[in-house]
Parts: sequence; structure tokens; C-alpha cells
Amino acid sequence: MSTPEDFSPVASPDSTPEDTLPQTPPTPQPPASGRSPVALIVAAVVIAGMLYFGFHAARRPSATVGAAGGQAALKGPKLAPDFTLESLDGQTIHLSDYRGKAVLLNFWATWCGPCKIEMPWFVEMQNQYGAQGFQIVGVAMDDSSKDDIAKFAKEMGVNYPVLLGKEAVGDEYGGVPALPESFFISRDGKIVDKIMGLRGRAEIEDSIKKALDAPADSNESPSMKAQN
Amino acid sequence: MILRKNPWILAVLCLLGTALAAQSKGPSVSFAPVGTVTAPRVAQTMVDLNFRVASGFHINSNTPKSEFLIPTNLKMDLPTDIVLGRIAYPPGQDVSFPFSPDEALNVYTGDFTITVAVHPLKSVVPGKYVMHGVLRYQACDNAQCFPPKTLPVSFDVKVVREKSSPQRNPAQSPHVH
Repeated sequence: MSTPEDFSPVASPDSTPEDTLPQTPPTPQPPASGRSPVALIVAAVVIAGMLYFGFHAARRPSATVGAAGGQAALKGPKLAPDFTLESLDGQTIHLSDYRGKAVLLNFWATWCGPCKIEMPWFVEMQNQYGAQGFQIVGVAMDDSSKDDIAKFAKEMGVNYPVLLGKEAVGDEYGGVPALPESFFISRDGKIVDKIMGLRGRAEIEDSIKKALDAPADSNESPSMKAQN
Repeated sequence: MILRKNPWILAVLCLLGTALAAQSKGPSVSFAPVGTVTAPRVAQTMVDLNFRVASGFHINSNTPKSEFLIPTNLKMDLPTDIVLGRIAYPPGQDVSFPFSPDEALNVYTGDFTITVAVHPLKSVVPGKYVMHGVLRYQACDNAQCFPPKTLPVSFDVKVVREKSSPQRNPAQSPHVH
């Protein structure tokens, strides 16, 4: 029978680093290259912080819309891929149906605890910002039946459309490796912000405002044009 | 030698490795290999299957508190004539997470053991058999949840003859002459 210790890799008992190093007479060692342990710890914390913030910055697209033309435009927000999905009430919904509105596209699942926390916020945010041209669209990335998803949405008091997700749609949005994941789409169909995992309500509201306030591009997005 | 003279390089490398590992972290449950289990025929042999949930993650127990949560479940595919008894799951821990402060979830974290009972029938030819199965689980951390996954599970069972019970020899009966 195995024990929990079996999970740990066991170092080979018959060789140690000392065994493999050539035996040389001891030489005077400089005092750790003149660096104190405090300096090492500070350097380590700084590097860890840079990696952490760099990683999270890379995961969030720029919230500003790039200037028209040139390289700045290339660095601007990407177009939100259009899709066609069935809603819980049996309607066929295209993302482009919401052109002209700022959209919060929320990928979620019934088995996702953090998603449950966001849903009451979303209900309130839909009420609060809906009149400004804001629409939340939920996409259930769930293996559960349509009835189960509908039951869950009803229990949560969801007041926005819930679509039955497909893996292919998730792939279009980067694979959606974990839930919840929300994309904030401007009125002209561009992703201006993205939040992975559960964040604070204020952060979500900031992203909604970015989507609402993003200046519309004079060139209509191809995903929107496709539906015209 | 370079690292010995410049321990700060080693420290930075370790830090980089840790940071990169943290960035690429994903939910993982690992299975500890099981040594060959000797199972006599016509008897039940208990086998402990040890699992470990990676640090920072949790998975639902076999009996989560909500119908919408996905329970951890072990499914074994058994060779013919080797019967699997009850699969015993450990009780989960009731834990409140930042995303459910008012509602404790019943979860597994760290190490946990699922016990299966292997019961070879009398018809099984003694020898070595491989038992295969999958553990299905759904993991979360404090801020996000990951789609359900399956983890292959296997272990060897050496089926041996049952212990012979004392045989009555009619010739020794005092009533037979």
C-alpha cells in the first residue's frame, strides 16, 4: 500500500552533490559576493513583484482605444469574435445583435462557486447601467442540461440573457481555461477589458464604465458588419 | 562554482522558477502509485488509493452540498470475474471560501484516500491483473474554477488461490465403517 509520502520524489540515496564535486582544498570564500541577506530578500521581493504585476498586466488588454492608424491602432483593443448561440428561452442570439451597446460577456458555469458571487452583482449592474446602453450576456460553459442551467439562473434571479455555450466559442475567446471570465466590449464591438476569476465589484464596475465610455470607431467592426 | 560564488544568482533563479511555476499553475490532482496488491480468491481485499490535491486548490468531496456542484467520483473498469466492492470515500472538510463566506463547501484539500474493495471470484485464474479506472473531479482555487477533469488510476492485483479450508474426510468419520 502506498502512503502519502509516495507523492514526493525521493532523492537517490547513493549520490550527493558533495560526492560529485571534485575534492579541492578549501579556499577562502568572499563574504557572499558582498551582498547581505537583506539585499537578497529585497531583490527577491522586487523581482517577484515585477513578475506578478507584469503577468497580470499581460493578461489584461489595454483599456484605451488606440489612435486611428499606425502602430497605435494595431495595439488597440481587439474585435470581439462574433458567435451564434441558443439562449435559454430558445432564441438564436448573435453577439452582433447587441451592436451599439456596451456588453459584458460573462462565461460561467453552474458548478462554479465564484460565478455565483458575481451573479447578484450583475443583476444589479444590469439594472443600474442598462439605460445607458449596457447589456450583460451570460454564456454557460456547462455540461448540465438546459433545464438545470435555467433552474440555476432562475434561482439566482438572472435578469439578462443566458446562452448555452459551446467549446468553439470559448476557443474564440482564448480557451476560457477557468471561470468566471468576463470580457468588456465597447459599443463598436471591441474588447476593451477582460477580467479572469473573481474580482471585486468595484473593479467590474470600472470595466463596465470603460466599455460604456470607449469612443466608437468610425469604422464599423467586421463582426458587426457581418450581421448587416 | 559560479553559483557557489554568487549565491544571489541561485536565489534569483529559484525565485524565477517559483514565479513561473505559479503563473503556469493549474488545478492538479496526483495519484500515488500503488504497489502490487495480493488478493486471494473468494475474499475481499481493501486497497487504499492515495491522492493529493495541489496546494492552493480544492475539489468537491464525493458528497458536495449543492446539486449543481460536481462530486469527486472514482469509476473502475474491472476485468471479468473480479468484483469491486464498495468504494469508500473520505468525508470532506466543510470550508468557507472568500467566494462563499456564508456557505461552507464540502471539499477535499491536500491528501485524501479512497478505498476500494477487490474481490476476485473463485473462477479467476491466479495471476497478475491490472485494474484501471478514472477519478473525475472539479477543482477551484479561491477565485476561479476549472472545468471537470479525469485522472487515470491503475494498480496491479495479484490474484492468488484462496486459503484452503480443512476438508472433511468421510473415511475418518466414526460413523462410517
